[in-house]
Amino acid sequence: MSAELHIGRRYLVGLRRRTHVATVTLISIMGLCLGVLALVVTLALLEGFQSSIRSEIVARGAHARVVPSVGRRIEDPEQLASVLHEGLGQVELVEVVNGTCLVSSLTDAVPASVVGRSDVLEVVVDRVLAARLGVGVGDELVVISPRQRLTPLGPLPVRVRTEVADVRAPEPGSGEGGAVRLPLEVAQRLLWGTDEVEAIELRDPNHPWNLGARARAVLADAGITARVQDLEELHRPLLLALALERVMIFVAVGLMLVVAALNLLCNVAMVAAEKRHDLAVLSGIGMRPRALRRLFLILGTGIGLVGSTLGAISGVAIAVILDRTRALPLPRGVFVVSAVPFRVEPAMVALVMAVALIFAVVASWLPSRMVARREPAEGLRYE
Amino acid sequence: MSEPSAFVEVRGVCKGFGVGSARIEVLHNLDLEVDQGKLLAVVGPSGVGKSTLLHLIGLLDRPDSGWLALDGREVGGLDGQKRADLRNRLIGFVFQYHHLLDELDALDNVALPLRIGGVRAGRARARAMELLDAVNMTHRAHHFPDQLSGGEQQRVAVARALAAEPRLLLADEPTGNLDRANADQVFELVRELHLLAGLTSIIVTHNEEMARSCDDVYRLAPAGDTFENNKDV
Repeated sequence: MSAELHIGRRYLVGLRRRTHVATVTLISIMGLCLGVLALVVTLALLEGFQSSIRSEIVARGAHARVVPSVGRRIEDPEQLASVLHEGLGQVELVEVVNGTCLVSSLTDAVPASVVGRSDVLEVVVDRVLAARLGVGVGDELVVISPRQRLTPLGPLPVRVRTEVADVRAPEPGSGEGGAVRLPLEVAQRLLWGTDEVEAIELRDPNHPWNLGARARAVLADAGITARVQDLEELHRPLLLALALERVMIFVAVGLMLVVAALNLLCNVAMVAAEKRHDLAVLSGIGMRPRALRRLFLILGTGIGLVGSTLGAISGVAIAVILDRTRALPLPRGVFVVSAVPFRVEPAMVALVMAVALIFAVVASWLPSRMVARREPAEGLRYE
Repeated sequence: MSEPSAFVEVRGVCKGFGVGSARIEVLHNLDLEVDQGKLLAVVGPSGVGKSTLLHLIGLLDRPDSGWLALDGREVGGLDGQKRADLRNRLIGFVFQYHHLLDELDALDNVALPLRIGGVRAGRARARAMELLDAVNMTHRAHHFPDQLSGGEQQRVAVARALAAEPRLLLADEPTGNLDRANADQVFELVRELHLLAGLTSIIVTHNEEMARSCDDVYRLAPAGDTFENNKDV
């Protein structure tokens, strides 16, 4: 162990000797510890919420969507579905058509989204549309298409008379006007009059985030030109907003670390001033200026290591305890979760610790330069 | 018989502090030679530049002008790293205030010059223990400076000054902060170790009696508005 490391360690470990240096060192350690703790807890909170949102995205919607590369219609959905099924194995496939129709009840008629899906067996109306039409389960509903068919009486719009089987909460992105979900064949007859579909939606609960890439590879192998939208593309604005939120929070709360680093700079400079005689003596007995600089870098790095480690340990402990005990409940029905979620990402904790450590080293670099430039006699002259 | 060679040579050295009208020239055109193996006392009133002279010889400060050589080698133009290496290998310091490091015990304080010089911890501590034995401080080896008396602190400081086996010992009023009994003991210790180790030594002191017991005395005194150096050997 070099002399400067030995002395730097004693300055840190010498806390129990209750010197002024020890107090100043303790304050610096506490400052960094609090900064790291705040950042770890805040990022765990953010990650908790964001992870709930991502889970919700995965739980509710499609994980990938295959659409034609040109136009709106997949002409041979059966063949495409069979290629995807063979290539991807145990994956849910749903054929989908979308459009807008006039939906009428006995009392009112409004334009609404019509979604035809191969996994829907009965007519489901969302609450928004049900409220606008004043219908409930068992009521009659007529869906009128903008498409016309030729009859002996002249062209008439295609229409379907049906009965509401269920009323559910609106799907994300279903629009403000409300939506009605129909079995695929019914929607195809209404909207297009053919067996074509608009898209094939894929779901793989085990590996949702790379399903798009896998589907792309399968289609490329089969020589099929179709566009695959993966989970990130399907929810790009939301995911970008979440990523931006994380960066902004990191920067904002990270300012605490900057304040802690400035505090460390002041404190190390105070140590340099208080230990003026010691440093002059060390220099006098042959410690090189470079080694004196290293001594203060060691001191700053030591404070950074101890402070950031303590801060990370306490931050992780607080986040885990708050998450497991569900100590911060949320009002039901307002949020997708019932208590404030915390999720600790080890990589994020490591990043916070690394940033704190870099700040500590940079903060101690300035006083260390000042110390190394001094002639030893300056510290001894005014005793 | 060959002439004794000068271990310390100072030629025309000037040193001042402050700038402009506030500048004070402490040493002006000073010449001094200290032969190898001699014990030289530097005396003079306060503020005359005794400590400044010692700092210049000990490479703790740089002269404004003049020429300085140690062991026949010009040292004025050396950079900070080389000056530090010379201080570590060639020079031992004893200061008026012991200046032991509060965070280290007596043993680690004595071992410090060796650790700085790159000696491994075990060997450095063994050598430090020998030196503590030489100054009768073995029983206090693991005490921290604030647990030692003034005389004991200064004995540890003397041991530290000799740890790296220097050839030049510089002591800046080593007894100035001690009572009469302790002052005599520390001075005797310095003189004894000077002889035993065959050192060249320079001691700054206000004590005429101690100065008279040294091989040579160098008197620094101001004269009129300027400073003059009066050598009285």
